[in-house]
Amino acid sequence: MFRINVKWWIGIIAFVLSSTPITFAQGDALFKAKCSTCHQVFKNSTGPKLFEVRKKWEDGGAKPGTIFQWVKNWQVAVAQDDYAKSVESWSPAAMSTFPDLTDEQITSIFDWVDSQTEGGDQAAAGTAVATPTDATEEESDLGWVWVVMAVIFVVIILAVGGVRRQLKAAAAEADGTSFDPGMSYGDEFKQWAWKNRKYVGIGGLVIVLAVIVTLFQSLYSIGVIDNYQPSQPIAFPHDMHTGVNGIDCKYCHNSVTKSRTAGLPTVNVCMNCHKQINGRTPVQQEKIAKIYEAAGWSPEGAGKYTGETKPITWNKVHVLPDHVYFSHKQHVVVGGVDCKQCHGDMTKMTETAKVQPVEELNKVEGNIPLTKRTLTMGWCIECHKEKEVSLGSLDTKKDGYYDEIHRRLMNNDKKLYEKYLEDGKVTVSELGGWECAKCHY
Amino acid sequence: MKMKLKSMKIVALSALSIIVLAGCGADKDSPGLEYMPDMYRSPAIEPYVDYGHMKERENMDSKNHLSALVPPVGTIPYYGTDSAEVMLMLPYKRLPNVSFKETHGVYDGMLTAENEYELAAADVNPLTLTADNADAIFKEGKALFTSNCAHCHGEKGNGEGPMVKSGAYTGVPDYANLTNLSDGQIFYSIYYGKNMMGAHGPILTKKEIWTLVHYVRKFQNPNYGPGVSVMADTVNAQMQ
Repeated sequence: MFRINVKWWIGIIAFVLSSTPITFAQGDALFKAKCSTCHQVFKNSTGPKLFEVRKKWEDGGAKPGTIFQWVKNWQVAVAQDDYAKSVESWSPAAMSTFPDLTDEQITSIFDWVDSQTEGGDQAAAGTAVATPTDATEEESDLGWVWVVMAVIFVVIILAVGGVRRQLKAAAAEADGTSFDPGMSYGDEFKQWAWKNRKYVGIGGLVIVLAVIVTLFQSLYSIGVIDNYQPSQPIAFPHDMHTGVNGIDCKYCHNSVTKSRTAGLPTVNVCMNCHKQINGRTPVQQEKIAKIYEAAGWSPEGAGKYTGETKPITWNKVHVLPDHVYFSHKQHVVVGGVDCKQCHGDMTKMTETAKVQPVEELNKVEGNIPLTKRTLTMGWCIECHKEKEVSLGSLDTKKDGYYDEIHRRLMNNDKKLYEKYLEDGKVTVSELGGWECAKCHY
Repeated sequence: MKMKLKSMKIVALSALSIIVLAGCGADKDSPGLEYMPDMYRSPAIEPYVDYGHMKERENMDSKNHLSALVPPVGTIPYYGTDSAEVMLMLPYKRLPNVSFKETHGVYDGMLTAENEYELAAADVNPLTLTADNADAIFKEGKALFTSNCAHCHGEKGNGEGPMVKSGAYTGVPDYANLTNLSDGQIFYSIYYGKNMMGAHGPILTKKEIWTLVHYVRKFQNPNYGPGVSVMADTVNAQMQ
């Protein structure tokens, strides 16, 4: 009896050791190669989730073995079984056929799928995503601190002044000299100012001049939008999209290489990823639900487009006055300027997009350092002076736009051309980037 | 009388200082006071501008009006006078299947009951690779792939892009497993989308998509180039 038991146990252990790991690994590999494009374990995707799908079919009243037939060729299964027929209507997308899979292989896939635990795969793969970047950090407004401090200082000054007056009065009484208690602060100040009228006059002049100069300087700067960060209908985290997930700026702002404007993505572009990604935290889910609403996507079951779309009204961040012509295409395609030169490092931008002050732009690696304020003409001019135009076109006899300009320069005034080349580089301004009519017409 | 004047002075001064201090508030939603309009609001149509507020006047009729509209059906953009280029850019003849209405949000009026994906297998890439243009096409394809595809499909086309690595997205196939697809089918999938992948026809021109088809082939066969097709190569590999 004992012996038989031992034999049995040895047999079971041997079976577990030999067969299970192999079918297990096989199921994993097969799932990734054949199924994972359309199916996920715990989430409906192009196809329904596969976790405990065999149980689902059994409970649904499918004949045993129908599910294998379905995987090999679903059309045969539909013809034979009513439950399979009901599965067919789950999504209008038809499943691929896998006639070369054996029953054992299909079983190994289902075994592997059922052995997964929910959250395990996400915790392993998605640690980078779990960072709490969606909680938009609000910059604390410290303005009230200054007001409170000013009030405290005024109280202290008045109190000290009162004490001083009383001490003075007491000292005068002790000396026996007279002290006019009716003299107000103002009168006292007047007396003092009259005594030191030379210094007070010079000081007053300096202060008045300084006030006038700062006033004019600030008047000149007003009207240039700096640090403007309008709230958006969906607080879009650029760092998550372009930083963590490595999406190129030009994917969403895709008209940047074709048009004057960089363009805001259509909801279609959002849905290219968000059809599958519906958010992990409630904050994310709420935001992504707004995309679904705009796209007319109903995420239940397999998900489907209802056709009831609703445009999103984004707020424009960068605005140039009407008297300036600016083309993104010219700068990005011809000039080869990186987006971050003017828009900053968006891979680290957790809040909604804003007009970045020039100090922040200068911190970005690889940017040409500039001094004038963002979006002013001085800022453009400075960059046109610094930005080098590729010299590659000088070597060949191509018919590009800049080759023609080089040729004209050479034929027109060779000395001038040589002067331009003295410092070994050709900048935008040397090719006419400082011509008024380049931007103003 | 003198007292009254003095208190009025104090009231006026404090009111002024409160106004000045209030002006220093940092409201990120406000672009600031525009005390001398600097042509920020253009009478000419500018993209992404709400024309409800024009020349300091509110116009409720055009407030929140959609300014970017879909061009009329059958509109053909102007692509110069080079006939080869124009032929390449003519609207795509293949239509999406009726199921694309629900799965990819394609509008009514451009759907067909035919399975045009299967028919697309016969389509030939109009950008023929020659020894002269091959390098330029692959270079252009690489740039397009990097900005439009690589975040999911990966720099090497193995389905291991940063989106997949971060765990945000799953189910991106390895191009190496898709050698049975024809050029026309790859084009169709990029143009209208397939399964989870969305339509990229709206953001890429036909020339760009055909360029990408060439570049994607390069992942399946590093020797892919003028006169070397992926299909023939796989068949050869299987025969050996």
